[in-house]
Amino acid sequence: MTAATPNQPKGLYAKLFEPKRLGIMAPGTSVLVYAGLLFWTIVVLFPLYWLLVTSFKLPIDVNEGPRYLPFVDYEPSLHAWDYLLVEVGGDTFRPYVNSVIIAAISTVLAVLAGSMAAYALARITYKPRFASILSFVVGIVAMIVLTVVAGVPWWLSLIVGLAIFALLARTVARRFSARLGNGDILFWMISQRILPPVIVAVPVYVMFQRIGLLDTHVAMIITYATVNLPIVVWLMHDFFLSIPRDLDESAEMDGATKFQIFFDIVLPLAKPGIAATSLLVLVLAWNEYLLALFLSSVDAQTMPLLVAAQNATRGPQWWSMSVLILLMIIPVVLIALALQRFIAKGLLVGAVKG
Amino acid sequence: MQVTLDKLSKSFGPVQVLHDLSMVVEEGEFLVLLGPSGCGKTTALRMIAGLEEVTSGRVHIGDRDVTDILPKYRDAAMVFQSYALYPHKTVAENIGYPLKLRKVPPPARDKTVREVAAQVQLEDYLTRYPRELSGGQRQRVALARAIIRRPAVFLMDEPLSNLDAKLRVHMRSELKHMQNTLGTTTIYVTHDQVEAMTLAHRVAILNHGRLMQFDRPKTIYRDPANLFVASFIGSPPMNMVDGTLTSGAFTGPGFAHSLGKDLSIGPAVIGFRPEDCSVVAAGNGLIPAEIYSNELIGDHTLVTCELHDGSAAPHTVTVKMDKDFEAEMGTEIGIAIDPAHLYFFDQGTGDRIRV
Repeated sequence: MTAATPNQPKGLYAKLFEPKRLGIMAPGTSVLVYAGLLFWTIVVLFPLYWLLVTSFKLPIDVNEGPRYLPFVDYEPSLHAWDYLLVEVGGDTFRPYVNSVIIAAISTVLAVLAGSMAAYALARITYKPRFASILSFVVGIVAMIVLTVVAGVPWWLSLIVGLAIFALLARTVARRFSARLGNGDILFWMISQRILPPVIVAVPVYVMFQRIGLLDTHVAMIITYATVNLPIVVWLMHDFFLSIPRDLDESAEMDGATKFQIFFDIVLPLAKPGIAATSLLVLVLAWNEYLLALFLSSVDAQTMPLLVAAQNATRGPQWWSMSVLILLMIIPVVLIALALQRFIAKGLLVGAVKG
Repeated sequence: MQVTLDKLSKSFGPVQVLHDLSMVVEEGEFLVLLGPSGCGKTTALRMIAGLEEVTSGRVHIGDRDVTDILPKYRDAAMVFQSYALYPHKTVAENIGYPLKLRKVPPPARDKTVREVAAQVQLEDYLTRYPRELSGGQRQRVALARAIIRRPAVFLMDEPLSNLDAKLRVHMRSELKHMQNTLGTTTIYVTHDQVEAMTLAHRVAILNHGRLMQFDRPKTIYRDPANLFVASFIGSPPMNMVDGTLTSGAFTGPGFAHSLGKDLSIGPAVIGFRPEDCSVVAAGNGLIPAEIYSNELIGDHTLVTCELHDGSAAPHTVTVKMDKDFEAEMGTEIGIAIDPAHLYFFDQGTGDRIRV
């Protein structure tokens, strides 16, 4: 040995911040760590506590507040709960059911379609010609010009647009060799979520107005499924990459079709990914406000709009908002708990090697 | 069933990995595709399986041309190097999956699964999941899943390479026994020459995507077609000494050997196996050398001898001697070789020169 091993130091710093033996935390370290954890726990849980106590407050307890402890600071009252659930119960219940239907169905659609797309991108190498994509854009532009400027019926210009695309793609585009890859397709998809959604809000509004689907479940479901699709593709793509291709090929040799491989083998193994992605997409749809504001008014109104509406005519009704927000939180918490056991790793153990 | 490859070629972009591979695998034959990594053997197997597109050439299984047919219609079962067991299915479900896909009703399926599981000694593990099995048991599940269908052809891609050495030897003999019992045509890919020599009826040796030799193991060992096969097969490998072959004599560093046949090739290589030569007193034998090191292996001693060819790095050959052999390092000796077991190769082309 060339350098002497230092002796165990005796100073205050060492006493506080160096563990006495392996496998335990030093006293000073644990104080700091638990103080930090406690602080963050309060930051996270206090708003929930505040919602709960506020939902039992009378307007006077809010306006002359702050009052923190029910029965001590103020006398809790069920007036807000009674008003929202009994007096105008129907007006609370309808958006609630709307939210459940729209969030659930749009999530199922987005996860189903998105994971199929993600699987394809994880397993098949696509090489679309850049010039073919440009031809498609040219076709669309031609269709718009014909319909809007020349006043041609839309179905006729659609045919013309498609014809132009097909013609260009099969002739001129073949001369250019530049191709895109799976990574480009994936990035193009996720780039749809980079832009602020308000950009598409007006066109989407006009579109559904034209076809008479404004303020319907269908419009909301289609919109939510579409805007969440890129997120599903992006997240699931990584999960599918982590599943060994040998399993697909083995199933193929065993006689499975592509759909059987996907539903029998790949999807069950991607359960953790499906659970995590579904939860995320569900929460995004459940909490979505901006597009709901454009697309729904009465029949398809969702909970975020109802919460915001409590701030409308009579000034902020904090007690009512608290009740509604609590009602909104409950199902999300339940679903998160239900899905939690799937969001665990280790499903692939035993697939390969010894 | 017979498997026929007809000028099978494969290119990945500009890189050609398989060149005009043609061979006929007879009904019931155990064929081993052997070669170093990257030689195209796995690609060839995957093309027979239908997992890889064929660039040119045809694949026949039995009388059918299956070149453009989907894998599931080829009646071939494959065992993967990774076993590729379905981790979320039990052993019984894994083994029975091919039957489930063929819509065999559950009672019949269960019965067959149990029979096949018995064949590979897995009856007690049917309700377990792959993660609860040892490497050897997983290997058996993969085999059972392949044999349950009674396919026309077994395709195996280095199925033993993930097992530890002892288990590998054991599974090797089981595999050979099973193949013999079932009598199913088997194409087996490996880079392990011992597996190839022990398992195969015939071995096809590939290098850089070309077929080097296709023959019985004994012939490949005793009568290699070229320099690559000669140096690839055998452990320790065949000794190679460079020299020139002119006017019917091979001249190497410090020695000359007359062939008794008037041949002039130019740069050539003389080869001899460690067991076909012996260490003799200096001045005797064919090649003068000195002892570089000797290693007692157990039932024999491997003697490494350095040649006097004047090169900076020691050029050595290995001689297999009796276990009682002893010699000081640095001792001058001679190496005697049985002339019947001398091989000559063209240095340029690597082809065997038959004398």
